[in-house]
Amino acid sequence: MKKTSNSVRHISSNPLVDRLKSLDRWWLLLIIVVVLIIFLISFKPDPYLRILLFARDGVWVTFYTTVISFFLVLVIGLIGGLGRISHNRLINGIASIYVEIVRGVPLLVQLIFWYFAFPSLIQNLGDAWNVPAFSTYKANPLLMAILGLTFCYAAYMSEVYRAGIESIPKGQMEAARSLGMNYFQAMWYIILPQAVRVILPPVGNEFITLLKDSSLVSVVAVADLTRRGREFMAANFIPVQTWVMVALLYLVLTLIAARVVNWLEKHSRYER
Amino acid sequence: MSAQPIIHIENVHKYFDKVHALRGVNLYVQPGEVVLIIGPSGSGKSTLLRCINHLEEFDQGHIIVDGIPLVTAENINAVRAEVGIVFQQFNLFPHLTAIENITLAQKVVRKRDIKEAQRVAMDLLEKVGIPEKADNYPLQLSGGQQQRVAIARALAMNPKIMLFDEPTSALDPEMIQEVLDVMLDLAQEGMTMVVVSHEMGFAKAAADRAILMDEGQIIEEASPEILFTHPKHERTKRFLSKVL
Repeated sequence: MKKTSNSVRHISSNPLVDRLKSLDRWWLLLIIVVVLIIFLISFKPDPYLRILLFARDGVWVTFYTTVISFFLVLVIGLIGGLGRISHNRLINGIASIYVEIVRGVPLLVQLIFWYFAFPSLIQNLGDAWNVPAFSTYKANPLLMAILGLTFCYAAYMSEVYRAGIESIPKGQMEAARSLGMNYFQAMWYIILPQAVRVILPPVGNEFITLLKDSSLVSVVAVADLTRRGREFMAANFIPVQTWVMVALLYLVLTLIAARVVNWLEKHSRYER
Repeated sequence: MSAQPIIHIENVHKYFDKVHALRGVNLYVQPGEVVLIIGPSGSGKSTLLRCINHLEEFDQGHIIVDGIPLVTAENINAVRAEVGIVFQQFNLFPHLTAIENITLAQKVVRKRDIKEAQRVAMDLLEKVGIPEKADNYPLQLSGGQQQRVAIARALAMNPKIMLFDEPTSALDPEMIQEVLDVMLDLAQEGMTMVVVSHEMGFAKAAADRAILMDEGQIIEEASPEILFTHPKHERTKRFLSKVL
């Protein structure tokens, strides 16, 4: 599992030359991985091209499961983060309990709960209250997987939001409120636009971690990249080639994501 | 000048945990009056100022601004829309340009359309002397320029009262005068102002009344000439001997 950092730091700004160097290096790694995949499928199409063709729908599933979950995580995490900084005892309590519980339970256990235990609970409720729609409730694997990932990562994300919001000087809120804005207007127009710039690096980190952790949904009947890899291995008994290819495909996804995050960070700095 | 004070502060007490920051302050400010508050640090002068638009909650007493008592959330917002405040640290919004800093609250709070908000903003930037900096971000401006944008931002809401919380304390010496000039203009136009500052020059030129605070209480108040030259209280004399 992962740990959530409470401190949010800016990426230290290196001199331009250093930045160009590091930029080249990371682009280079992505290019090497892509070239390696092309090399493998061209020179050893059996088994590598076969694996790729077999697993490509899994790549797509992994991609959209992650993106949909992450979008929901951004929204629910914001609500959770605002709850965590709320002075209202009840709201703050609910948000805190949510974060503490989710942080303390492994993601895999949570996913299994949502897929196996949650539908069973609904069915029991349906039986007890005589609601046929509940009694015959069947879980959609993808839906439950997205729900599970979102529920877990939104808790981490609310801590990221909280740290970001708390890093903005108090005077900003005071200035906004003294101009007559209400709390939510001040948050929306003044605090969040600044906090988002601060939390971009950890948010990008969350996205990449979520992308990797999405492989856990393979145990709850979602045919993602990892599950497709397992299916291929079970049918063909070539574990080394299978998992090399799967690992390379994950690497392409995470390296692209890292480049996108890097680009966003560069284009959100304040003008001086 | 009407007899009805525009700011009415009565027996206000404020505690920070165990610290008794304001100890029963009474202050009445008439419309158009310029009041200067001086005093040693920790004397409660900034706290008192910040109570007027409820940035600081007070624990006891009453504050009524332009007939609106600071009690409910609606009243507090109504008062804030009529009271502008300028901070020591400027508190400009760093992600917005100078003109966006001035137009945002006009659009969001006053519901002005963008054209009018920009016209008001440009007029005010003209007034504070930096129309050419409209599209600069705060970090591209000097301290004095930032503070002038901050004053313009507050004025854009058409406040009836302006509060200044040590507006020149964070500035390099050569930038102080440009900010004081803007404040002098405002005072001349008849703006009601409460100023926490040790700028004696400004006080003599513009203030109708000067107040010395210490340990959460108003020790002495008089016209600036009298307070600075013939203070009655021992504490005022001691303080003035240090700052003058």
